[in-house]
Amino acid sequence: MAEFSQAAIIGVSLGAQYALLALGFTLIFGILGVVNFAHGGFYMLGGYVAYSCVAYAGLPYPLAVLVAVIATGALGWIFELYLLERMVDDHLATLMLTLGLYLVMSTGLLTIFGPLSMEFAFPVKGAMHLGPIYVPRENLIVLAICLTTIAALWLVLYRTDLGRGLRALADDRAIAMAQGLRPKLLFPLAFAIATALAGLTGALVTPILSLSPGVGDPVLATSFLTVILGGLGSLEGAALAAFVVGVVEAFSSVYFGGSIGALVLFVLVLLLLVFRPTGLLGRTVRGA
Amino acid sequence: MRHLLLAVAAIMLPATAFAQSCELKIGAMGPMSGGGAQWGLSMKSAAELAAAEVNQQGGVKIDGKTCKVAVVSYDSKYTPDGAAAGANALAGQDIHLIIGPVGSVENAAVKPVAARNGELAWNAAYATNAQEPKYPLMFQVSPPPAIWADLVIKRAMKTFPMKSVAIVVPNDQTGTDVASVDGAAYKANGVAATSEFYQRGTTNFAPIITRVLATHPDAVDTASSAPGDAGVIVKQLRLAGFTGPIGRVGGPGTAEILRVSGGMDVLKDFYWYEAVPTDDPKVQAIDDEYRKLLGHDPVGGTTFWSYLPGARMTMKALQTAGTNDADKVAAVLRTMPVEDPNIGKGYWTGKKYFGIQQTLFFPFGIGIIKDGKNLGVERQEAQPE
Repeated sequence: MAEFSQAAIIGVSLGAQYALLALGFTLIFGILGVVNFAHGGFYMLGGYVAYSCVAYAGLPYPLAVLVAVIATGALGWIFELYLLERMVDDHLATLMLTLGLYLVMSTGLLTIFGPLSMEFAFPVKGAMHLGPIYVPRENLIVLAICLTTIAALWLVLYRTDLGRGLRALADDRAIAMAQGLRPKLLFPLAFAIATALAGLTGALVTPILSLSPGVGDPVLATSFLTVILGGLGSLEGAALAAFVVGVVEAFSSVYFGGSIGALVLFVLVLLLLVFRPTGLLGRTVRGA
Repeated sequence: MRHLLLAVAAIMLPATAFAQSCELKIGAMGPMSGGGAQWGLSMKSAAELAAAEVNQQGGVKIDGKTCKVAVVSYDSKYTPDGAAAGANALAGQDIHLIIGPVGSVENAAVKPVAARNGELAWNAAYATNAQEPKYPLMFQVSPPPAIWADLVIKRAMKTFPMKSVAIVVPNDQTGTDVASVDGAAYKANGVAATSEFYQRGTTNFAPIITRVLATHPDAVDTASSAPGDAGVIVKQLRLAGFTGPIGRVGGPGTAEILRVSGGMDVLKDFYWYEAVPTDDPKVQAIDDEYRKLLGHDPVGGTTFWSYLPGARMTMKALQTAGTNDADKVAAVLRTMPVEDPNIGKGYWTGKKYFGIQQTLFFPFGIGIIKDGKNLGVERQEAQPE
C-alpha cells in the first residue's frame, strides 16, 4: 500500500512537470504547425539562466525563476519573429531551424558552463514523512506553481481576446486572418509563451534533479510522447496526457522496474495510436 | 649565376615548406556533448596533453620526417553508430591512432570498424568483452571492475559493515555487465546483492528509489551510472529517508556527485573507486602541466588523469616505431614497460579476464566519506597478473 501511495504521489508530481512542457510544445504545433525540436533547449536554458542569476548575480531564487521565464520567452519571440516566421509553412525548414537552434543552445551552454553538472539546489529542502510515505517539500512547491500556471494559461487561452485569437489561428488560419487577426503579431507571442513555459519548467525542475548540457534531450522525447498521446495540437489533451504519462511512468517503474516501466509507456502510446490515431482528446489535426 | 641561385632556391622552397608543415594527426573520440561529455572531453584533454608534450620536444620522427602531432576530435555521443562513424571519419583523414572511445556501447561498435581500417584505439569500457583476442589493435586505459571491485568492497566493509546492497545501474551493456561483476564481488564478501536497472536518459529516479527501498538494503551502490545520474540518485535516496552508506564501485565522478546531490551533509557515508590516486600531488600536477602547455584548463579531473598514460605511451610507441602504422605501433606498445611520470609504475593486465593482455593497470584509489567527513583517497598499488 505504501508503494502504491508513493507511486501515486510521484506520478502526479511528474505529471504536473510534463504538463507544463507539453502545453508549450502543443501550443506551438497547434497554432504555428511547427514541431519545436528546440523545446528541450529552452528547458535547459531556463535552468542555466536561473542558475546564473543565483550563482553569479546573487539574486534570490524566485526572482531568478522570473528572469529565466522572461529570458526564454524573449529568445523564443526573437527566434520566431526573425527566423521561423520567414518559412513557417515549410515543415522541413522549420524542423531544421528548431533542431539547429537546439544544437546551438546545447553546444553554447556546453562551451560556456562546461560538461559537468552545476551545483544548483532548490532553496527549500527536506520531505514530509507519513510513515513509509514521503513527499519532498520542493515537489509540493513545484506542483503548486505548475498547477497555478496551467490554470493561468487556461484562463488566457479561453477567457481573453488574445486566447480567442490564438485559438482562431490554430483552427483556421485563413479565416482568422480574414477576420483581421495578425499572425505576425500572434505567432511570435504564442512561441514566446510556449518557450517561457519550457524555461519556467527548467528553472523549477533542474535544481531538484540536475543541470547539465544534456538535460534537454529527454525533455523533447517526453514532450513529444505526451502531445502524441493527448492529440497533437490539443491543449486539454496535452494536460490530461501529461498526468497519464506521469502516473503510468511512476506506477510501471515502481512495479515493473526502470527498464520495463519505460517500455509500458511506449506500448501504451502505440496501442492508443492503433485504436485512436488522434490521441486521447484529439480532434482532426490542423491542416497547416 | 644569379639565375642558377634562384632556380636552386625555387627547388628548395617547396621541400623546406613541406618539412615544416609535416603534421601527424591522432584521434580523440568519445561523447563530447550530452550526459557523458565529461568522459569524451577527458579523452580529448589526454590526447592534447600527450601531443603537446611531444611537440614541445620538437615533434615525432615519422618515415624520416619530423612531424608535429595534431589532435582531431570526434563526438561519438555515447552511441554505437556515432562511434563507428567516428572511427570511419578518422580513418578517412589517415588517422590510425585513437585515444577513445569511452563506453562499452561505443567500444562494441568501434572494434570491428577499427580492425577493418587498421586503427589502434584506447577504450575505457567496463563490459566483460571490452577487450577480445580477435581485436589486437584495441587497448584499454584502465582495468574493469573485475580487477579491483573486491578490494574496494573489502575496504568499504571495514568502515561500513553491510549484509545487503542494491546496485543501481543503467540497463545497457555497461550497466548490466558491471552489475553482474559487482554483484559477484559483493556476494564473495558475504553481502547479498540485488540489481535495479534504469533506462539511460532517466531524469527523475523517484520510482526507482521507491523500488530500491522496498528491499530494505543496508547499502546502495551507484556503480557505473553517470555521475550526474548518481548525484540525483543520492539526493533522492536521502530525501526518501535512506541513511545507509552509498557506494560507487564503478567509474569515477565523486566531485560531480557531491555537487549534484547537495554536498557532504547529503552524501554523508560514501565509498568509491578512483582510477588513479587522486590525492597524490604528482597526479594533481598533471593539470598544471596541461595549463602550461595548452594555456587553458583541462576537462575531466580523474578521468583525464587516468586516460593520459595511454595517450603518452602511444606517443612514445609512435616515436619508437617511426611510423603511424597501427600494427607496428601496437607491437611496440606491447613491449613497453607500464610507467607514467605522474601516476607511477603499473602493469599490463587482462590476460586472465579478457584473454589478451592489453589493459593498463596503474595504482588506483579508494575514497571514503564517513559522517559527512572526507577521509581521503587511499592509494592502492597495482598488482601484476
